[in-house]
Amino acid sequence: MVAQHPRGRRGRGMTTLPRSAPRWPHGKRMAVVVSVDFLDAHAITTQEPRMVGREKSLSVWQYGARRGVDRLLQVFGELELAASWFVAGRVALEHRTLVQRIHQAGHEIGNASFACEDFDHLGLAQQHDSLRSAQAALRDATGEAPVGFRAPFGNWAPGFTQHLREAGIAWSSSWRGDDRPYFHPPAGASSVPLIEVPLHYELEDEPYFTFNLYPPVPVGQPRIASYREVLANWRQDFAGFHRLGLCMPLRIHPEILGTAGRIDLLRELLATIRSQGDVWIATGRELAQWWRSQHTGNEPGHPVDLLAPLQQASHIS
Amino acid sequence: MAPVRPSLWPDGVRSCVALAFDVDGPTGNAMLDGSIWRNPSFFTLGSYGPWRAVGYLLDLLAEYRIPATFFVPGWVLETWPAQIQAIVERGHDIGYHGYQHEAFWQLTRERQQEVMARSLALFRQHLDLTPTGFRTPSGDWGDDTIEVLLDAGVTWSSSMRGDDRPYFIEHAKSGRSLVEIPGRWELDDYASLAYQRSPDFPAGLDRIAPYDTTLDNWRREFDGSHRDGLCMTTLFHPKVSGKPGRILLIERLLQHMRAADGVWFATCGEVAQWWRSTHADDAAAA
Repeated sequence: MVAQHPRGRRGRGMTTLPRSAPRWPHGKRMAVVVSVDFLDAHAITTQEPRMVGREKSLSVWQYGARRGVDRLLQVFGELELAASWFVAGRVALEHRTLVQRIHQAGHEIGNASFACEDFDHLGLAQQHDSLRSAQAALRDATGEAPVGFRAPFGNWAPGFTQHLREAGIAWSSSWRGDDRPYFHPPAGASSVPLIEVPLHYELEDEPYFTFNLYPPVPVGQPRIASYREVLANWRQDFAGFHRLGLCMPLRIHPEILGTAGRIDLLRELLATIRSQGDVWIATGRELAQWWRSQHTGNEPGHPVDLLAPLQQASHIS
Repeated sequence: MAPVRPSLWPDGVRSCVALAFDVDGPTGNAMLDGSIWRNPSFFTLGSYGPWRAVGYLLDLLAEYRIPATFFVPGWVLETWPAQIQAIVERGHDIGYHGYQHEAFWQLTRERQQEVMARSLALFRQHLDLTPTGFRTPSGDWGDDTIEVLLDAGVTWSSSMRGDDRPYFIEHAKSGRSLVEIPGRWELDDYASLAYQRSPDFPAGLDRIAPYDTTLDNWRREFDGSHRDGLCMTTLFHPKVSGKPGRILLIERLLQHMRAADGVWFATCGEVAQWWRSTHADDAAAA
């Protein structure tokens, strides 16, 4: 058997976009969203309960509020770039002036749940409580209700999307499965659109760099990744998203990438992105607005549209 | 080592590459135990392979004019038939890979037969074809699997790891045999690039490897296989190495292999057919 070639050869250097590439505003080739998870030590204590009461270990995560946030703000300021910050409700209570400063610098503030609870272990009503409490705390701190949401560990129960809509959430960045935004069902005229900006582990700083000796994080105590190689991976990921004309979401943490030694990885990556000249760097809110203006639903067979019927068939709802 | 002489391959070329992809999508343990239906992050992570990455890979393979073999669980085929039909339309080979990526070594003979029959019905319904090849999901099979496969009309497999060229797996009782085209973990993208949380992979959450050293490994695997005149196959997964940044690794590997002289790029089915036609005596004697 010999492979067929009905579409011929694409140009070297991959300047030709595939037919399936989405359109972006202002004739840009691709979109980048820089998202920051500002969770202080709440996510790690949920993930690793043995962390509680261990001052040294906790201080690894608390470094974000002490130094990392300001360092990220400085880089974003240098580049005049607006990011989407997902902030836990408790962080808004505990670091109110810092969260206000992020907001006043022109960044989007999104809802990262109240205390980074693991939604896999919460019922729908408890998930709803976490969403509402965080929404209230963040509105109180910034004077503006968030329209973006990120589930701290990626999942929520069936039915939660309706709570998100009712809370005024217009976009989420929690799930995976695509390289461009998609609609959470139900889509269409009768529904308030809820757009997902899907994540990719290779575009997150945590899998590469998170580390604690004991309790061990990650659990298998792998070495901290090579900074140079991680930057090279990210640059190659960017090159791939760029040539295919996609939506690339970065997910970073102030305590991980906002350190003196690593902040230049972000600076250099963003410089690479900016140097292309045809990249739309947007907040999630702007991206979701654009997607809603261009689309009314997903292409047939989209994984997100298959999921609800499959969940129902498996008696999970 | 000097290359195998005389050449093992058609027209006396030096080596053989049977590029292969496992289109697992979201199938596997979490689907088999039902936990995936409470884990939308993980369901969507896996779905990316058939939903998007297969299309990118097909464009790349067309550009470099390289045939490949895609192992497709029946569930993936019935869920995204258009994406899998495109594989056949672009001239590639399709092999069995379970219905939901079942671990064959843990299944009774009857369950293995059911999985094969259900998959066959789907291949006939959606693709109008009867696969001849099989890659066992999760790599291991049971004592009765060879007979199950032979009875299902399978003539070749790419499941094992223990050689660097094809060989025959005999079914002593009936004298029938499968051609086995063994792979290597070094050419499985899970060993370098796959990463996921809940369920965690790698189990200890080791880091994603650097792309450039991963590519260097893959190139060296080809260089050695080519130097010695062997048969190299891959265990690439669209959801892992068909992602936007990583497809560049596969592209550079294809460029590297295309630049070598005397490579037979073939589907696993072609390799198996060739092997059987040139080693008929081995099959009878083994």
